[in-house]
Amino acid sequence: MGVISMEKVDHLYWLGRYTERVYTTLRVFFHIYDRIIEQPEGMYSKYCEKLDIPDIYTSNRQFVQSYLFGEYNPDSVYSNMKRAYDNAVVLRDELSTTVLSYVQLALDTFDSCRKTTAPLLELQQVIDHLLAFWGGADDYVEQEDCRNILKCGKYVERLDLCIRLDYHGKDLEKEYRKLCNRLGKTGLSYSEKNLERIGEIILKEEEPKRCYREALGCLGGLII
Amino acid sequence: MRELIEHTEGINRLMARYGVKFGIYKGGEFHEQLFPFDAIPRVITHEEFQQLEKGLIQRVDALNLFLNDIYGEKKIIHDGVIPEEFVFISSGYLPQCEGIAPPKNIYSHISGIDLVLGKDGEWYILEDNLRIPSGASYPMIAREICRRVSPVTFGNNSVVDNRNYAVMLKETMDWVNTGGIPVIMTPGRYNAAYFEHSYLAERTGSELATCTDLFVEDNYLYYRDYRGRKQKVGVIYRRISDDYLDPMTFLPESLIGIPNIMDVYRSGNVAIVNAPGNGVADDKGIYYFAPKMIRYYLGQEAILKNAPTYLPFYEEDRKYVLDHLEKLVIKDVAEAGGYGVIFGNELSRERLAQMKKVIEKESRRFIAQEVVDFQDMEVMDGDEKVLRKADLRAFVLSGEKTRVWPGGLTRFSRNADSFVVNSSQGGGFKDTWVLSQWKK
Amino acid sequence: MRKLRFEYSMELKFSSPVSSHYFALRCVPGDSLRQKVRLTECRVSPADYTSALKDGFGNKKLSGCCHAPHDAFGYSVAGTAETNGMIVQKCPLHPMYRYPSKYTQFEPEVVRFAEKIREEWRSESAGTALEKAVCAMHYLHTYFEYSPGTTDIGTTAAGALKLGKGVCQDYAHIMIAVMRYLGVPARYVNGLMIGEGATHAWTEVYTDGGWYGLDPTNDLHIDGYYISLAHGRDYGDCIVDRGIFLGNASQEQKIYVNVEEIKDGRDSCVNGTAGGREADDP
Repeated sequence: MGVISMEKVDHLYWLGRYTERVYTTLRVFFHIYDRIIEQPEGMYSKYCEKLDIPDIYTSNRQFVQSYLFGEYNPDSVYSNMKRAYDNAVVLRDELSTTVLSYVQLALDTFDSCRKTTAPLLELQQVIDHLLAFWGGADDYVEQEDCRNILKCGKYVERLDLCIRLDYHGKDLEKEYRKLCNRLGKTGLSYSEKNLERIGEIILKEEEPKRCYREALGCLGGLII
Repeated sequence: MRELIEHTEGINRLMARYGVKFGIYKGGEFHEQLFPFDAIPRVITHEEFQQLEKGLIQRVDALNLFLNDIYGEKKIIHDGVIPEEFVFISSGYLPQCEGIAPPKNIYSHISGIDLVLGKDGEWYILEDNLRIPSGASYPMIAREICRRVSPVTFGNNSVVDNRNYAVMLKETMDWVNTGGIPVIMTPGRYNAAYFEHSYLAERTGSELATCTDLFVEDNYLYYRDYRGRKQKVGVIYRRISDDYLDPMTFLPESLIGIPNIMDVYRSGNVAIVNAPGNGVADDKGIYYFAPKMIRYYLGQEAILKNAPTYLPFYEEDRKYVLDHLEKLVIKDVAEAGGYGVIFGNELSRERLAQMKKVIEKESRRFIAQEVVDFQDMEVMDGDEKVLRKADLRAFVLSGEKTRVWPGGLTRFSRNADSFVVNSSQGGGFKDTWVLSQWKK
Repeated sequence: MRKLRFEYSMELKFSSPVSSHYFALRCVPGDSLRQKVRLTECRVSPADYTSALKDGFGNKKLSGCCHAPHDAFGYSVAGTAETNGMIVQKCPLHPMYRYPSKYTQFEPEVVRFAEKIREEWRSESAGTALEKAVCAMHYLHTYFEYSPGTTDIGTTAAGALKLGKGVCQDYAHIMIAVMRYLGVPARYVNGLMIGEGATHAWTEVYTDGGWYGLDPTNDLHIDGYYISLAHGRDYGDCIVDRGIFLGNASQEQKIYVNVEEIKDGRDSCVNGTAGGREADDP
């Protein structure tokens, strides 16, 4: 039938962004968790700075708990997972119950492993569910527009995180091209100027890192 | 069957996975709760269901005729079958709907009729829900899961497939569609039945919409898409109550309605499912008259019985009610969802006296019923079987024909001493098996 | 029969622009057994569209919407009406006019007031429904004070009785509540009245197989100097101007009503009975 309301577009886009945020930050967290074993207290400060989230943490241990599971910590992975769910639950008719269930499972896993002493053991499942969600979305979501908008959100977030976390130029280029490709197919209104500028920074700047702030700004204002 | 029970936990886990939940407000905060599922099904034999089916179709047909009559010629009033005060004081009666002929003359497309099975083996109708009865989605998904968990159970018992509810609903919506897309309208995700709204939208291929997606222009209703295109809506299954439907006609403070949708409806340019104004026919006071309606409109005797009911409005009944209050159930006709139901035997002496005064003063506001001695149902409580009160909500769909969904929603009360089975009051639900005539 | 020329306009000013402004207006008089209307003007602006329909009570209704931001809204209606006064407009009774409605509940104040009127009937030996209604109107006019600004559009009959004063809407509601309580069906009417001013409201009672109008605010029978706009169980059913919009704006409303008689030759005693006829706030 092919009609999607403004409101649903918004939810699709943000569902893409939040699921990607949870997925990537969780994967990054696996490395952090590993490094914490040897590194001194306070090693998370740098990470917070990169992600541009307030450093409200008091110890490595507390960081692990609060950053992963903090219910009232708006920057915790859990809070982002909840936002992903909030956007997903209003999209059942577009996503299908089958696809939606993977977001539900990811959230439920988070809820159930809050008290565990070995969080990564369980959180691996969140990653699995999210991957299944993406696969399911590709396979089961009937409307192409829906899939494209969802993916746009995902690629915007991906690029955002890659820039922040100092991914290699080649990676940025790859993500940038994916975003461009997808954005053209959605019919979303976006700023061509911003998209172009991001491209310039990633592809042409001598010292792209100096312009990352600007690139992030352009990315944030990409969708109008 | 044993297998099903053994896997209760697994079944409930799958339901959690699919988000089979209902919303509830506790201390002003919204929570989503799982609707507990009990694996022991309610079993209805083929013959029993045939009888139920006949009775339900008869009742819903009569109720639809009644609604046509009330918003049209009002013959049943002129002929003195129902006292007019029961109709025109009812908060469900909406004069704004006078003179409107809904598409195909159907008012109640989806009727949820609540029944209980008496100890005498007879089904009694407890109430008719003709506004926006909810609950069909739960058994739909439960059956899907149960079959997956225990194919052998369904292999050994020939149970009529009830997973066709969405098809039946879609056919009903198509039948009244005035030419446009089908839409299911929800007040939003913080509504108690949001799961159902979204699930039915998915299953019927309707757009799930909130008020911001819909607008009226020049006597047509449209759905607005993100590319700025508008799609004409031909049928709207709205899951918001009449009061909130159109702020230009009903409650002006409604923020979840669609301004001027009543004009579109009056012009015959959209079907509203269920029709606005149905509340006049599922008013607890009107319930009393349903058997009379059946006689009046269809020339038949009611196949399904009402629970013995008294109207304090009639002097004779009032006397009986006041004399026997301690053994009766009193229902406030304006309330729904298990609220406003008072059991005389639970009242202190002072409350009884108070209640009597209120009934004397506002006799039109209440009905009184004998407590039906209904059959308790077995429910698993841990590893133990216990007995609980249970009812059955049968779903009757009125489209080209009036049809009864082979199944329904069986709800049971959480506590042993409770008669209230509403999900909002902590109860659970069961699958309802209608056996096919071909036995295995 | 009288011939009237009428003009009715409303201007609404918003302190800041509003958008998605939906409206439903019952500002256009329709034909009835009492009046035949010919419109010379009927303008609503700004509006993307307007559509004309009847509502469930049989009133003419204009509805529509203006999506674009705007800081003013208004309508003006003008035309002529041939009116009859003091007649029973024959029509079957809809039973809803017998029972209390939102604004006319039988609350203790209403019951008390109604009982006094019942006594009045006895002493005045009012027999027919019409005599009873007229008697009630006199009583209400005498014991209720006209006082703009004391009540608002949400005030019920009981609420107004408690205050002992109010405007035409309150007079009409009290009269309706009392008549219904005492067994005479009654309904609410709003409309225009001869002279310059605002819209007005009054009561019709069901008598002798039809509706008969009485204006308790002025203690007058509805004669050829009144033009009806809409009717219902009470004010809430037939609001002349209902609107909803997006935006946080305060509003300022100006209403202009002018009704004058078109005199052809001999018949010129227009103001003979119209002494107390300043139209009131609705």
